Amino acid sequence: MYYLGVDLGSLSCDAVLLDHSGKVLATSVVPTGARNRDAIARATQEVLKVAGISEREIKATVSTGYGRDRVEGRLSAVTEITCHARGVEALLPGTQVLVDIGGQDSKAIRLDGKGRVLEFAMNDKCAAGTGRFLEAMARALEVDIEELCELDRGASKNLTLSSMCTVFAESEVVSLIAEGAEVKEIVAGLNRAIAYRVATLVKRVAPELGGLKVAMSGGVARNQGVVRALASTLKSEVSVPLKPDTIGALGAALFARERML
Amino acid sequence: MKQFFDDMTAKMEAGLLEKNTARQKFNLEVTRLGQRLYSGNQRLALCGVCAPFDLLNAMGINSCFVEFWGGVLATAGIANEFMEEAEHVGFQAESCGWHRAVLGAAIKGMMPTPDIMIATSSPCTGGVAAVENLAQKFGCPLFVLTIPPDDSERSVRYLADQFRSMVDFITTHTGETLDGGKLKDAMNKTNQAREIALEVYSLAQSIPSPVKGRDLVSVGLTMPLFLGTETAIEIAQAYKNEFTARIERGISGVPGERLRLIWLQEAILFKNPLIKMLEKDYQATVVVEELNDIYWEPIDPGDPFTGLARRTIAFPFNGAVERRIKHIKKLVQTYRIDGAINPCHWGCRQGTGSRGLIAEALKDLNIPVINLEVDCADSRNFAEGQLRTRLEAFMEVLGSISSERPVEIGGQACTI
Repeated sequence: MYYLGVDLGSLSCDAVLLDHSGKVLATSVVPTGARNRDAIARATQEVLKVAGISEREIKATVSTGYGRDRVEGRLSAVTEITCHARGVEALLPGTQVLVDIGGQDSKAIRLDGKGRVLEFAMNDKCAAGTGRFLEAMARALEVDIEELCELDRGASKNLTLSSMCTVFAESEVVSLIAEGAEVKEIVAGLNRAIAYRVATLVKRVAPELGGLKVAMSGGVARNQGVVRALASTLKSEVSVPLKPDTIGALGAALFARERML
Repeated sequence: MKQFFDDMTAKMEAGLLEKNTARQKFNLEVTRLGQRLYSGNQRLALCGVCAPFDLLNAMGINSCFVEFWGGVLATAGIANEFMEEAEHVGFQAESCGWHRAVLGAAIKGMMPTPDIMIATSSPCTGGVAAVENLAQKFGCPLFVLTIPPDDSERSVRYLADQFRSMVDFITTHTGETLDGGKLKDAMNKTNQAREIALEVYSLAQSIPSPVKGRDLVSVGLTMPLFLGTETAIEIAQAYKNEFTARIERGISGVPGERLRLIWLQEAILFKNPLIKMLEKDYQATVVVEELNDIYWEPIDPGDPFTGLARRTIAFPFNGAVERRIKHIKKLVQTYRIDGAINPCHWGCRQGTGSRGLIAEALKDLNIPVINLEVDCADSRNFAEGQLRTRLEAFMEVLGSISSERPVEIGGQACTI
């Protein structure tokens, strides 16, 4: 018997397939695009193909993410906050503070060290500092989003961006380039800006980090520059699990399995 | 607007014949009040939230707080165009939606022209500014009640004296006088309504609670408009009868009640799916709103001004946040609350400013709080998906806590 977790986010749709023992058999990340159903089908088909099983063999599916209610045939829908908490506990046991930055929102989650959510804080309506923000900045810098991860290396000037509004920050980046600012300094400035913003959420759920185990999940956690900036801002080590963008789907798959046992 | 209230009243009267619920009775009286405000057959006072409406009712003055228009327009789903009107002439889109709506209605010429206006320094300075603004627009006399933050004898005397001056002001500008007998009668009716409302709230505290959905939404905030009249007594009695019947028949407001919630400050009045979602998907029920409470002592009909002053000062939003927190804690304990929802009404500086203190205080009682970011009147800023996620995650957190909380079954503590 197999268990499926589907995380339908604003930027990507992720799926994780587990076997009866809870072992991860396959993961997939596909762009959400304009058609949610297609994205869900593609993400699901990818993991089924890798595992070499048919859809009929899936015993239970739990969905998560902003589109969790659009996943048909689900056993239940669980919020991404609870799923990320559950997922990170499986890979980084004992995590007490989890930062999840996704496509359009960021969250700080306080856990009990056993995967249970004690408290959480989310960004407000503005998507500044999220995956969408980084996409816009990569566009302004004319680099691939994947390249952003290492472009801050060697920066030393502590450049500060005056606006975190995605629209204004994009204009500011263009102006900085025109003024001759180095890309590494701009990228480091962007990373710090994201880190400061997320740090305010972290402070809400954990005013004193002293010794707490901090981790980061979500697509933005693949950007090592942001992770470094966050660690520096929080003055704490920040662990990143393997395939951080699939942690929500992993949590959902684990719930699917637990609820059927 | 007059036509709107006429149509709504006719619709409600027909509806009441079919269903006859306490909420429909309450809604009907609200629309009838709306009709009276536009009738022109009595002098009209537009006021701040904390004006003594039973005193005004005793003087034969039609009266209402200005935020009423924001509430009615939002409930009817038509507030946005009025708020936009206010924004077009420079009122900030981030300011309080209740005030933007009424200011927009005035600009559009949809407000009745008052004879007088009475501002109240509590619950917010934004309200004073809105009333002052409207007074200028209508060119009508303005009286400002400055409500002291504490209930010392000196403060009570100070406010009681202001009420006396207010009566003189009303008489000067409307010709209406205060009859001692009518005032005494109004105070007796206020006390009667108070007694029944106490029973209603006591019934609401039952486990499971007979309260469901929108039964008591904004009732505590709006009921003062009917105090001093038979209407307040009738509304309270209707709720008492309904809740008593539900309890006697073993009907829970929300079937299978699992989580009991308190809603802080004011409700979101435009149509939204949140309450239904909480009830249907999580068997969570909002058993109490922060202002659905009798926080004041009966008023001595022999010394009404002192009693009215004490009541006004006792308003939970008056004075330091500490008082509001004390009141919320009392509700949390008496209603056996599992979690608190704070909408953090946009543009409400004191509401937003106090959110951290409230969350911190409730943490002492192990009561989690979820802060939303909405304008309770402005549906344009309602990010449904994000708010659903916040609330659903909050329910998941509460669910995991309650599943580990010892409960009493047959007098024996155990864990469910």
